[in-house]
Amino acid sequence: MKAPFSEYLNSLMPGLQKLIELLSGHYDYVSALSTDSKGLAVRISQHAKSVNNQTMTTERGTVVRVYRDGLYSEYALDRFDPASPEAAAKEIREALDEQLDLLRKTGTQIYETGKLADEPLELFAEKETEQLPEDAKLPELVERLTAISDKGMTMSENMLDCMANAQSTHICKLFLTKNRRLRQSYVYSEGMVMAVVGRDGQNRIGYQSISALGGPEIFEQLSDKLETAVENAMTMLNSDRIEPGEYEIITSPEVTGLIAHEAFGHGVEMDMFVKGRALGADYIGKRVGSDLVTMHEGALCAEDVTSFAFDDEGTPAGDVTEIDHGILRAGICDALSALRLGTQPTGNGKRENFEHKVYTRMTNTIFDSGKDSLEDMIASIRFGYLLEGMESGMEDPKHWGIQCIIQMGREIRDGKLTGKVVSPVIMTGYVPDLLGNISMASGDRMVFGGGGCGKGHKEWVKVSDGGPYLKTIGRLG
Amino acid sequence: MKKYIEILQASGADAWEAIRTRERGWEFYFIGHKLDQNRAKNVEHITLKVYRNAEDGTMGMASASIPPTESEEGIRKTVSDLVYQAGLVKNKPYRLNTPKPIDPIPVSLRPLKEEAESFLEAMAGMNETETEKLNSYEIFTGLEERRLVNSEGVDVTETYPSSMVDVVVNARNEEHEIELYRLFHLGGCDPQALKQDIGELLQFGKDRLRTSPTPALGKAPVVFSTDAALEIYHYFLDNLNAAYVVRKMSSFEIGKPIAENVQGDRVTLESVRVLADSPSNFACDPEGAPIRDAVLLENNIPREYVGGRMFSQYLGLKDSFSVSNWKVSGGTKSAEELRTGKFLEIVEFSDFQVDSMTGDIFGEIRLGYYHDGEGHVTPVSGGSVSGNMAENLSCLYMSTESRRFSDALIPAVTRLENITIAGVE
Repeated sequence: MKAPFSEYLNSLMPGLQKLIELLSGHYDYVSALSTDSKGLAVRISQHAKSVNNQTMTTERGTVVRVYRDGLYSEYALDRFDPASPEAAAKEIREALDEQLDLLRKTGTQIYETGKLADEPLELFAEKETEQLPEDAKLPELVERLTAISDKGMTMSENMLDCMANAQSTHICKLFLTKNRRLRQSYVYSEGMVMAVVGRDGQNRIGYQSISALGGPEIFEQLSDKLETAVENAMTMLNSDRIEPGEYEIITSPEVTGLIAHEAFGHGVEMDMFVKGRALGADYIGKRVGSDLVTMHEGALCAEDVTSFAFDDEGTPAGDVTEIDHGILRAGICDALSALRLGTQPTGNGKRENFEHKVYTRMTNTIFDSGKDSLEDMIASIRFGYLLEGMESGMEDPKHWGIQCIIQMGREIRDGKLTGKVVSPVIMTGYVPDLLGNISMASGDRMVFGGGGCGKGHKEWVKVSDGGPYLKTIGRLG
Repeated sequence: MKKYIEILQASGADAWEAIRTRERGWEFYFIGHKLDQNRAKNVEHITLKVYRNAEDGTMGMASASIPPTESEEGIRKTVSDLVYQAGLVKNKPYRLNTPKPIDPIPVSLRPLKEEAESFLEAMAGMNETETEKLNSYEIFTGLEERRLVNSEGVDVTETYPSSMVDVVVNARNEEHEIELYRLFHLGGCDPQALKQDIGELLQFGKDRLRTSPTPALGKAPVVFSTDAALEIYHYFLDNLNAAYVVRKMSSFEIGKPIAENVQGDRVTLESVRVLADSPSNFACDPEGAPIRDAVLLENNIPREYVGGRMFSQYLGLKDSFSVSNWKVSGGTKSAEELRTGKFLEIVEFSDFQVDSMTGDIFGEIRLGYYHDGEGHVTPVSGGSVSGNMAENLSCLYMSTESRRFSDALIPAVTRLENITIAGVE
C-alpha cells in the first residue's frame, strides 16, 4: 500500500497559501514547511514496559522562512489556523520585526545572501509500506517484544536485562512557496535488541538493530537478532583489553558505515565550507582515499530511514558521488549554503524538526562494494583485528581527525581468527590515512539506520550509513 | 489544560498525568560576527500519560504527545487508545506522586528581547585577536513554562529561562588554522562568565597551533579541567540512580564504600535545589516530586539513591525525586598541587565519554598539555585515552576549588592516575 498523505496537511494548504501571499507583500521570498508525522514506540525490558506515540521524528507544526534585504528569518509555530492566516501573518511579522529592531539597536551586521530561486515545481510522493504505525497490531507487537526480552533472559546466567524496542514513524511533510507545492508521505521503522550482562561488577552490552523504509512489518525480523546480541554481550564480558597501537584492521559493514559518516559525511557538509570549517573545501578534485574508495550520499542512495522525496527546504532528493575511486568529487549542500557558494543544493537541507534551523545534513552515506571475499581479507592479515559493532563516533572536519568507539575487535593472527576478543576499542586517526590505506573491500554491503546524528552536540536527525567489509590500517586503543 | 483533564478524568484510566510545556524562543546564528539567520518560535507541547491496573496486580502505562491543534474528538480518540494500550503492557505497580508542599524557587525572568540583547552584546565584545577569533556562534534564548497535573491532585507550574550558546573558535598561524567547539547550557546571560569561558577557549586555540603529537605514555596520570570532567562525575550520579540499581547495573550499595584501599580523595555528591546560573533551578522534577538538597554519596559511601517515582518505589525510597542540580566535593588538595609531577592535562577531546554502565573511559585528544615533571610543558594533540572507572576509584584526586558547568558544580581539577594513553608518537 501507499503511505497516505496527511489529511490535516491537505486541510492547511489553502490557509498556508494565503499566508504566503500575505507575507509576500512584505518579504521577497516566503516558504512554509508544515509537518504532521505520527509514530509508535514500544519499549520492553524486564523492569519497564511502555507504549507511546513519540519517536525522534514525530511532530506537527509549521515553520515559515522569509527573506528581505539579504537576510533570511524564520518563525516556528504549532497553532496555525488555516481559517485565519491574517493572524499568523501578523504574529510572524511582529515577532521578526521586534528582532530586527534589536539587531539594529545592537548594530548587528548581516551576512548578505541572495534570494532563493522559486522555479515552479509540483511533487506528490506516497511511498510504499505494508503497514502504518497508526494501524499497527499492538497486542502482537507487545507480545513479540516481550517474548524476545523473556527469552533473552534465559540465554545466560549473566543476563541483567534484555531490552526489545520497536519504533515506526509515518512522515508527512508539505512544502509551499508561491510557485512550489511539494507533498510527501513515507514510513520508516527501526528496532533494537539489547542484552545487558554483568559479572563481578563488570557490565557489558550487546545490541543488534534493524531499520528500513517500511512499516511495523519489519519487526518480524527482530527476534532473529536476539542470539547475536546476547552472544556479543557475553563475548565482550569475556574479552581482554587491547594493547594500544597501529594494526591492520577489517571493518565490518556497521563500522564501515560509521567511518563513512564521520569521515566524509560531516567532512563535506557544505555549510561548513561557508564557515571555513572543513578541509574538504580545498580537496575537491584531489585524492583522499585509495582507488577502492567510492562513496555516495543522498536520500536516493538507499531505501532506509531517511529516504525522503524532498528535503526540508523543498529541494528534491539526490544521490551525490562524493568520492570516486579515491578522488573527492563533491560535497552535500543545503539551499542557502549553495546560494552562498554559487553551487546547486543537493537535497541535504534537514531540520531536527519544524522548530529547528536547517543545516546541511547527511541522509544515506555509503561506501561502494569491492570484489574481495571476507575470507580472503582475513587470510591476508598477519596480525590485526576484525572490528565489529559501533558505539559512537565524532568528526573533526577542520583537521580530518576521526574518533570511532567500537564494541569489539576479533583478533586475527597469520590469516586466521584466533577466537580472542578485545573490547571496547577506540579507533582514532587521520581520515586520508585511514581511507588511503584501504586495500581490500568485500563484494557485499549493508546499510544501518538505527542511530541518530547530531551537529556538534545538538540538532539530532535520522541518518543511515554502511558499506562493505574494508581492510585498512587503524590506530586502536 | 482543562479540556485534557476533563477527557482524562472521563476516560476510565486508573491514573493519569498531563504535562504542558509552552516555549517561546529567540535564536540568532552568526558566521563570524555577521548574522546568518534570525529565528523565533512560539510552541506548545502536551503529553498525556495514562495508567491502568490489571487484575493480576500489574500496571500498564501508555503516553502520547498531542499537538495543540488537535480537535477535541482527536484528543478523545487518543486518550481512548491510550487506555487500551496501557492494558497491553504489564509493569510492577507504583503510585503517581501526591501533592506535597513545594517551596518555589525565585527566578528572575527577563523579557526575551533583553536577554537576547545581553547575549548579542556579550558575543560581539569577546577579546579576539588577529589570530584567535570566533568562527561562528549560535545564541538561543528561551522562556519555558511547564505545568504538570495528575490524577492524585498534583498541579504545579514552573516558568524558567533557558539559554544556550554554541560557539566555534579558530586560531591560525602562517601554516594552518585550527578550530575548537563548545556548547554552553545557561540559565541567563552572564557576560563576564561567558567572556571568561570563551577567552579560555581562544587561548586553547592558540596552544593547539603549536602542538606536538601526543607521546605513547602508557599508563599515566591524566588531569581534567574542562567540561569533560562532567562525564567522570556522571558515572557516580548515574550509579546512584534507582533505575540503575533496580536493573542491577549499579554495584553501589548504601553504607558500603564504593572502592577499597583508596589512596586518593573520596567523592561526596549532593543534590542541590538551587545552583547559581544553572538552567535547571526547578522546585519539582518532571513527575511532580519536590526536589530537595540531599547528600547522595558521602566520602565514597552511598547514602541515598534517587530517581523517578517508578524505580524509586521499586526500591522502597521515600520522598525521592530526579536530580536537577548537583554538586561534587571531597578534594583535599589545591588545583596547583594536583598539577605536579609527570602528567597529561587534557582540555579538549573530540568526544570524551565515560560509560556509566560499564565504567569504560574513552576520548580522542584534541589538546593536552604534557608536563614532564621537570618543569617542561608541551602542548600535544592526537591519540586517545582509555581506562575504566573501577580501576580509578581508588586513585581519583579532586581540587578544593570548584567550577560550574551547566547544572553541576564540580571540582575545578580532577586527576585520574590509572589511564592508558595511546599516543601518536
